[in-house]
Amino acid sequence: MALIKDQQLSLDHATTPELRFADWLSDGQNNADAVLANGDDDLASLLTHANKLSMIALEFDTFADGRGFSMARILRRAGYQGEIRAVGDVAMDRIDFMQRVGFNAFELRDDQEVTEALSKFGEVTVHFQPSADGKGPAYMA
Amino acid sequence: MYAYNQYDQALVDQRVDQYRDQTRRYLAGEIPEDEFRILRLMNGLYIQRLAPMLRVAIPYGLMKSQQLRAMAEISRVYDKGYGHFTTRQNMQFNWPTLESVPDILADLAKVQMHAIQTSGACIRNTTTDPFAGVSADEIEDTRPWCELIRQWSSLHPEFTYLPRKFKIAVSGSASDRAASQVHDVGLHLYRNDAGEVGFEVIVGGGLGRTPVIGKTVKKFLQPQELLSYLEAVLRVYNLNGRRDNKYKARIKILVNAVGVDTFGEMVEAEWEQLKGGDLRLPWSEIDRVKGFFTGPDYLAAEHAEHDLSRAFAEYPQFATWYRQNTRDHKQGGYRIVVVALKNQLQAPGDVSHQQMDGMAALADEFSFGELRSTHDQNLVLADVAQRDLLALWLKLQDIDLARANVGTLTDMINCPGLDFCSLANAETLVLSRQINETFDDIDYQYDIGDIQLKISGCINACGHHHVGHIGVLGVEKGGKQVYQFTLGGSASEDASLGKTLGRSIEQDQVVVVIGQILDVYVELRETDETFLQLVRRVGFAPFKERVYGTHQRSAA
Repeated sequence: MALIKDQQLSLDHATTPELRFADWLSDGQNNADAVLANGDDDLASLLTHANKLSMIALEFDTFADGRGFSMARILRRAGYQGEIRAVGDVAMDRIDFMQRVGFNAFELRDDQEVTEALSKFGEVTVHFQPSADGKGPAYMA
Repeated sequence: MYAYNQYDQALVDQRVDQYRDQTRRYLAGEIPEDEFRILRLMNGLYIQRLAPMLRVAIPYGLMKSQQLRAMAEISRVYDKGYGHFTTRQNMQFNWPTLESVPDILADLAKVQMHAIQTSGACIRNTTTDPFAGVSADEIEDTRPWCELIRQWSSLHPEFTYLPRKFKIAVSGSASDRAASQVHDVGLHLYRNDAGEVGFEVIVGGGLGRTPVIGKTVKKFLQPQELLSYLEAVLRVYNLNGRRDNKYKARIKILVNAVGVDTFGEMVEAEWEQLKGGDLRLPWSEIDRVKGFFTGPDYLAAEHAEHDLSRAFAEYPQFATWYRQNTRDHKQGGYRIVVVALKNQLQAPGDVSHQQMDGMAALADEFSFGELRSTHDQNLVLADVAQRDLLALWLKLQDIDLARANVGTLTDMINCPGLDFCSLANAETLVLSRQINETFDDIDYQYDIGDIQLKISGCINACGHHHVGHIGVLGVEKGGKQVYQFTLGGSASEDASLGKTLGRSIEQDQVVVVIGQILDVYVELRETDETFLQLVRRVGFAPFKERVYGTHQRSAA
């Protein structure tokens, strides 16, 4: 699976954690600093412990589940600076919006072509609302 | 009205390119069917029973004459020469090919139009009062606020994969002409006791399978915080709305599950993080947008006014049309003209390309080049001088749009039904034809007076039957199309949900039953009592007795 990180194809990176956030919590939070979470996880708890984590992989079981977008947005707003990696059903037609809300790494679905995916960042350059990327409408400038 | 700047134009142009590429990759087999379905829906493209259907956005129902002309041209080039106005003030084309849609979108972009977010689980076109800015009873013009919502919601990166679609309506008058209480969010502009104008926020209304009247979640919202509050509502919904069952995924289900007070607390907690921040609208921005809606260059009242008594005497039908299809205007000497898209031969809301071109020309000649589409599938020329009314009426006859039936029985709302829609269980257009044939005596319609008949071809309720004074819902039972009646609904400021009258009625008996219901009304009404008032006063018993006491052919 190809990984895009910080808008580049990444060839050398940490593997996506298999340890689920809930298990990490119940195991005493000491055995790892990267977890896998999804929309069913408790966001308040994730926020409480985020500073102990270098990577939070947010999993999309199906691309139609948009909860991860708000989770990433809130993690960034809370000051989380580690990697937020989108995993699961991740395709090129969503990574620009995902980047806007705070994801900085994307584990692409197997059928996705990396070069084409990279061209999708900034496909639409106009932003009518602020988000985690610091961009926003003209009146905010 | 609002005119695009370079940012708006760049957004729609880039969106066309993006969708063109998505279509290309889909046709090349590079995007799976279920994924492309979501991508095309985000651009308003459905696959219907017979062909694709493209829904074009008309933000809050406002358009320029050249935009309507462009849609007429699109209907000629890519479709079968007609279009259909929806209850969300949008335009639908029923026969484009999937391959041609990028070209249609490019043509639309040339006239500052698009199909962005006209479908899909995202924030849809914001709707409002078709008389915004011109109505005599208005507290404040809703259009600048709709435009601010349009911009904020356009390609919002976080709210594109919501649990379900999300619809916002804005009302700025005591009379609610935007059905705001049956929307996911309804916003009421009003003046509080301190004299400040702000929003009452209603949440969790809706129709569909589970009709609900919305509940007040915030009594008074400072207008500068409109977007921050909406963002908080959407974020709470995106994180907490149900995703396991699409029929339980609308915000109304969440609000009912946790209670509106708890829901309000969840929103407040999120809003604490947002208010006063980036989304707080500076007055400079509010004023900039308001500057697009300052109103046209009206003639002084003494030049616009005209004594119509001679014209009324000479053309009695003109007098009738004036009474039925025009409304008071805040500007002296002007009238609001409602052009009914409800003639005998066309489906409700349908317009031919000739009618579109004709209406565009009339807007240029008589109403400052602007038009509005309405929630009840009509068009409005909002700024017509009294001295021009007769000429306008005469020219409307040339395009078969002079029918003086606004607000009457035949001014019905009608979804396309089984003739077009892949969700429908029953035909609806056959009913509108039968109703037009049966109740063709216009004087009878005037005698019945103000009545809203709303017809849906399935439980998804695109025809808003729950809020019809008379609602008709098509269902399929044992392979037959039968129809359930509801009475007593309203989408106005006195919003209420209609209740089921009784067992289903066969298709060929629907007009009979409507006639029986109206007979009861005529027999029992008191002076000046409307149909809705009577239903609320006398209840269902006399209607049930009339319909079911003698009715022999009802379906099981």
